[in-house]
Amino acid sequence: MSNHDFEEEEFHKSMNASTLWRILAMLRRYKRLTAAFLIAIALVAFIEAFLTRLGAAIIDEAIIPRDGQRLLEIMALYAFMSVLLAVMVFVFIAAAGRLGQQVTYDLRRIMFNHLQTLSLKYYNKTAVGWIMSRVNSDSERIADLVSWGLLDVTWAVMNMITAFLFMFSINWQLTLVVMPFVPILLFVANWFKNKILYEYRESRRFNSQITGGYNEMITGVRVIKAINREDASLAEFGTLTRKMYTASYRAAWFSALFLPSIYMISSLAVAIIMLVGGSAVQDAATTGMTIGGLNAFIGYITFMMWPVQELARVYANMQHAIASAERAFSLIDAQADIVDQPDALELDEIRGEIVFENVTFRYDPDGQDILRDFNLTIRVGETIALVGHTGSGKSTIVNLLCRFFEPTEGRILINGRDYRQYTLHSLHSKLGIVLQTPHLFRGTIRENIRYGRLAATDEQVERAAQLAGAYDFIMSLDKGFEEQVGESGVLLSTGQKQLISLARAILAEPELFVMDEATSSVDTLTEGLIQRGMEAIMHGRTSIVIAHRLSTIKSANRIICLDHGQIIEMGSHRELILKRGYYYNLYTKQFRRERAIAYGLETTTESETETLGV
Amino acid sequence: MPLYPDVASTTTNFDVRQTIHPNRLRSMWLLLVGYRPRYVAAVAALGLAGVMNTLSLLLLAYLVDDVLVAQPENFLTLLALIAAVYVGLSIVRGLFAFVSGALAGQVSEAVALRLKDFLFDHIQRLTFSYHDKMPTGELIQRVTSDIDAVRRFFAEQAIGLGRIVLLFLINFSALMLLDWRLTLFSVAVVPVIGVMSLFFFRRVERAYDAFQEQDGVVSATLQENLSGVRVVKAFARQDFEVNRFEKENHKKFDLGKAFMMLHAVYWPVTDTLTGLQMAAGFAVGALMVINDQLTLGVFVTYMAMLGWIINPIRELGRLIVQISTGLVSFDRIASVVRNERELLGEGEPAPVSDLKGSVRFEHVTFAYEDGKPVLHDISFDVPAGQTVALLGSTGSGKTTLMALLTRFYDYTEGSIQLDGVDLREYPRHFLRANIGVVQQEPFLFSRSIRENITYGVQRAVSDEEVYAAARAAAVHDVIMEFPDGYNTIVGEKGVTLSGGQKQRVALARTLLKNPRILILDDATSSVDTHTESEIREALETMMTQRTTFIIAHRIQSVMIADQILVMDKGRIVQRGTHEQLMREDGIYRQTYEMQAQIEAELESELANV
Repeated sequence: MSNHDFEEEEFHKSMNASTLWRILAMLRRYKRLTAAFLIAIALVAFIEAFLTRLGAAIIDEAIIPRDGQRLLEIMALYAFMSVLLAVMVFVFIAAAGRLGQQVTYDLRRIMFNHLQTLSLKYYNKTAVGWIMSRVNSDSERIADLVSWGLLDVTWAVMNMITAFLFMFSINWQLTLVVMPFVPILLFVANWFKNKILYEYRESRRFNSQITGGYNEMITGVRVIKAINREDASLAEFGTLTRKMYTASYRAAWFSALFLPSIYMISSLAVAIIMLVGGSAVQDAATTGMTIGGLNAFIGYITFMMWPVQELARVYANMQHAIASAERAFSLIDAQADIVDQPDALELDEIRGEIVFENVTFRYDPDGQDILRDFNLTIRVGETIALVGHTGSGKSTIVNLLCRFFEPTEGRILINGRDYRQYTLHSLHSKLGIVLQTPHLFRGTIRENIRYGRLAATDEQVERAAQLAGAYDFIMSLDKGFEEQVGESGVLLSTGQKQLISLARAILAEPELFVMDEATSSVDTLTEGLIQRGMEAIMHGRTSIVIAHRLSTIKSANRIICLDHGQIIEMGSHRELILKRGYYYNLYTKQFRRERAIAYGLETTTESETETLGV
Repeated sequence: MPLYPDVASTTTNFDVRQTIHPNRLRSMWLLLVGYRPRYVAAVAALGLAGVMNTLSLLLLAYLVDDVLVAQPENFLTLLALIAAVYVGLSIVRGLFAFVSGALAGQVSEAVALRLKDFLFDHIQRLTFSYHDKMPTGELIQRVTSDIDAVRRFFAEQAIGLGRIVLLFLINFSALMLLDWRLTLFSVAVVPVIGVMSLFFFRRVERAYDAFQEQDGVVSATLQENLSGVRVVKAFARQDFEVNRFEKENHKKFDLGKAFMMLHAVYWPVTDTLTGLQMAAGFAVGALMVINDQLTLGVFVTYMAMLGWIINPIRELGRLIVQISTGLVSFDRIASVVRNERELLGEGEPAPVSDLKGSVRFEHVTFAYEDGKPVLHDISFDVPAGQTVALLGSTGSGKTTLMALLTRFYDYTEGSIQLDGVDLREYPRHFLRANIGVVQQEPFLFSRSIRENITYGVQRAVSDEEVYAAARAAAVHDVIMEFPDGYNTIVGEKGVTLSGGQKQRVALARTLLKNPRILILDDATSSVDTHTESEIREALETMMTQRTTFIIAHRIQSVMIADQILVMDKGRIVQRGTHEQLMREDGIYRQTYEMQAQIEAELESELANV
């Protein structure tokens, strides 16, 4: 992890209306739920305003005329409205909660399903962490916008409207007097919103840097200790935490100032109501202003302060959600660049040769050629070993062969036909693949092997494990095939993981076997088992191996030495040794190393293989 | 009391260890040292703001009874006076609210600052053994989300609880003074709501935990799919994956709905209770007014005040649950803080004279864990300036042996002497300043190469010095080939260096430090033979002036040493010069012979193709 994992663009400068529409369009499938939710929230605002109106009625219609009967009627209505309010509250919480969960669920499903169709090109240029954030957090933020965000906005608007409607119905002149306060309140709230958000962003930015600082210190703590850098590191870190303190304190300061300012402005409105409304009460006969009405007016002004207070929060959340949505939609809109052609055929069997015909390939349109004018014919049943330095093009050949990528120029023929004419699924169903760092999924060993052929019986799974040489070590585990692997399961060595993925590949009964040998050290016993497993699967099958071990290289029918995307030597082990060229050098170097390891004189580390160049 | 942002000087050097106390609330109080008056003032100001609010509600009673109903002669004057007093109360209330918010914000940020600074320093001073055991992610969790939880404890929760209690007390007392019978009747529902709130938020907490846990499962499923994307594609298992994800995602959806349903029930139920209570209270109050037992003004005030008593109680449970999570976070921070630091130099006077560099081990034994020694009875003697080689297979204890010299770990038995003085009498800082270690797999920071090289020296370093160190480590030319030269950023954000390049940058970093004792832990294992000889040439002059330890497993790398120690299973099994060891029957000669044999095997292998 580096610092930059913690630094993500959190905010967006402007609101993008089309993104907002697209977010709201997610609700189209839930029209009834959305309608119920909006109606409920509108009714809540209305009933709340109505209850204040009833308060006025208690005073004007019951208390002042001393009418006990009327009081009971009003109170019955009040109680009924309270219960109705509760029912509406139930509806909007249930509906908003449901919508929020539903949209998160939908977004995650859509993104996950879409991710399955994207090509490796996408994965190559997109960090896993980035994708994870889109699926995990952006989906939640978008869902929050369509549920709670929508709620806040609807409620705020309805609150204002109903408050004014009731005020007009009580006394329109007084309503006109207090009306100018609304734009003033909104203006002030908006000013504070900008201030608070600015400081908040600053503090978030420093916060990311602080997390980055911790990360650097914890991962590098041994170096810091070895070179006595504690004090300097702390001083460096201290400047960051101080900046963060200042920014977040400023944010807290403006937030603390915000509400009181709103109170004070609205208290001016209340004072005006007292003065103007109060004198109107004096000539109630002409003005129609009552004590209850006056009281209700004060209630409505207080009532309208709530949405104004929430303005900053709601606005910030909306900005957040829109920025999230833009990133999430960019994932959803990403085009898979490898797709089936409209009239694609099913590849039923790889009968003939696989031919690379003048293949040129680059990952990036403007980048360097990784392969240039590459030609190769792979015969049926042949085992080919690819050797060469990192970056020589070995993995690219495998990626092209598996159609994880397609040639930039030239073509690849299977059964005499450009492989782009076949469906991806039918080609991939013919593949068996074992990766350098074998990937196992969470679940049991049995489930992991069965991944190769979902319909396989337990016997077939175990038979595959036997062929792969994995059976004995699996049985030595406490729960055997039912042992959990992955993060929460047993710790397996790389070698053991390779054995399991070999078994998985064997179970798939592939027509084309692809393996990227592990470079990290594997103990001799496991190494022998892997060797046997590989022989079992390669026997009679077309196989391509990115080879790191001499035994594999030697047993191949053909060895291809690659350098800068071109074949520099090709032939059998014997031919190439006698040539005393590139392969010869590579072989002698590797021979010394493997023996030294076998004799316990050396150990391999990941970094060593880099210079080893195999 | 500065209210405007300003860093208080007391935040530096705050020792969080003094706040550890079995009673966690007491710990929180201790964390506030230096800020207590401010925090108490923040709570008090909030209470005073509440009092102002209550006073303005009482003003309503006066307005209605003595002005609007009584309609006295000076009606308009009184009206204007009341309006003015109302605005005045609001201004005072606003001021108190602002002071409270600003103070609480300042105190909580200052506490967070204290914790951040202290933990940074504390963690970097914890022992090697601690860091060996503790995963990075766990520590990051402590210093990010746990500190933030403690901050929120002060910024929102503790003060929020104070707010609820004060609002209740103030308004309740005011109402009691107005009419105690009506008041007692009107708060009948409050205990019920309080208990429901406590009960409900506990349930919600559990439901939320289950929901969060499932969220973690969804996330893990996704991550697995993403990191295994080639396997998924190669086996054409997209549909299978989609189903697997769907299952977990749907389970989370269900848990989420259940969680929301709890809220959807709680709020309307308390709404109903509150609503009915208010309706009943209003009815009784109105009847009392009709029967002249209560004035209209008091009734109006009562209507406004009742909400201030009942509504905050509904939030009580939420705050209490949040407070308990805040305290749990502090516990987790405390579990880091409780660990002993390494003493680096505090209290131990550094030697006055320069180190010469003679090293003596006497019967040294060391175990990482009790009862499992990894070094047994190690004794050897190195005069200053000598080059000593340690040879042995992986796990024989070579690296551990050298880690004792810098006191990364303290030996369990025996003694080590440096220039004739027991190692434990030297402060660790002094040792580490004078002993340079180049590790086998060195760690570089995600910074520029120049910063990495100068990382260990705390003074201004000229470019010439940096270049000289890089040249001695045979890496200058490589660096100059990068587009940004010495300003090239290494690591994920920048250029990825090969293992050999990293080792050489780390070597340059150590050489710039100019240590008296140099430890090269397989420092040339990742470089090709040509570069290795280049480095060796450059090092030769440096090695003659310094005591040097070379850890290696290749005979060529150790031959030139003045003294070779052969290690096996934590013991020294052979010692001497190359010539002496070649005459002995033992691991050394065996190793040499095996290397010769490999050459012979290669010859025959090549001959028989």
